[in-house]
Amino acid sequence: MIVCVAVVGHQNNPLYIQSFTDADDALKLHHIVHCSLDVVDERVNNPKKSGPTLNETFLGLLYPTENYKVYGYLTNTKVKFILVTTDLDVRDADVRNEVPCCIC
Amino acid sequence: MGREVSESCIDSLLTVMVSTYCNRFYANKPELAARRIEAIGYQVGHQLSERYTMERPRFSDHLEAIKFICKDFWFELFKKQIDNLKTNHRGTFVLQDNRFCWLTRMSIDQSPENGTSEELSIMADNKAMQSMHLYFPCGIIRGALSNLGIPCAVSADISNLPACSFVIRIKA
Repeated sequence: MIVCVAVVGHQNNPLYIQSFTDADDALKLHHIVHCSLDVVDERVNNPKKSGPTLNETFLGLLYPTENYKVYGYLTNTKVKFILVTTDLDVRDADVRNEVPCCIC
Repeated sequence: MGREVSESCIDSLLTVMVSTYCNRFYANKPELAARRIEAIGYQVGHQLSERYTMERPRFSDHLEAIKFICKDFWFELFKKQIDNLKTNHRGTFVLQDNRFCWLTRMSIDQSPENGTSEELSIMADNKAMQSMHLYFPCGIIRGALSNLGIPCAVSADISNLPACSFVIRIKA
């Protein structure tokens, strides 16, 4: 289940953040999204993962936290889509297909 | 994304836009009119590049982005690709289009080489008016590239209509 969706602009400015849980968790989810921006930057600037993953728009699982998994997608115009989910057995492929639908 | 617009409408709209900005809004200030038109093009290019790069993998370097502009972007806008791309590998690119769509309806001056001074000044005016029409596509290119993270300056050159070339200088 997706608990939070965030769209972040190219200067790391938030364009849209929406959480889908009870109100208490909202701030924590915002923090998680904020931390994931660093991970995105690291993935993009670090050429150690060169090869098939270098120019992919879908960045895959960014990092797992205690209850959530965070996925990232980066467009050509440096707009970042961050997805926070709780499903522990969701697969990369499913999320990879969902993100382009969200964009349209 | 299914809506369509007729090409002749766009052609007329651009002609009217250039003439309104040059003759009514900034009647005696052609530099301001040019900058305004270029700014409009910048916004259009900015938004178009967002839309057209959606499905593609990310670009690895500047040359890839310029090639995208030459092929896919130009194809989406004008149903053709750029005919010739030259670079000096030091941040300058020249994109040449041998039949630029928005210039095809413009008359070509067939004046003789030794015209009178009056004819020469009329020719100079015509050249200035023709170059006004190129600020919009320059802005489009600049807007698209800056949205892809490449700040640049774009200028156009019309030595022989309807061919024109766009010179892109990437700011280091």
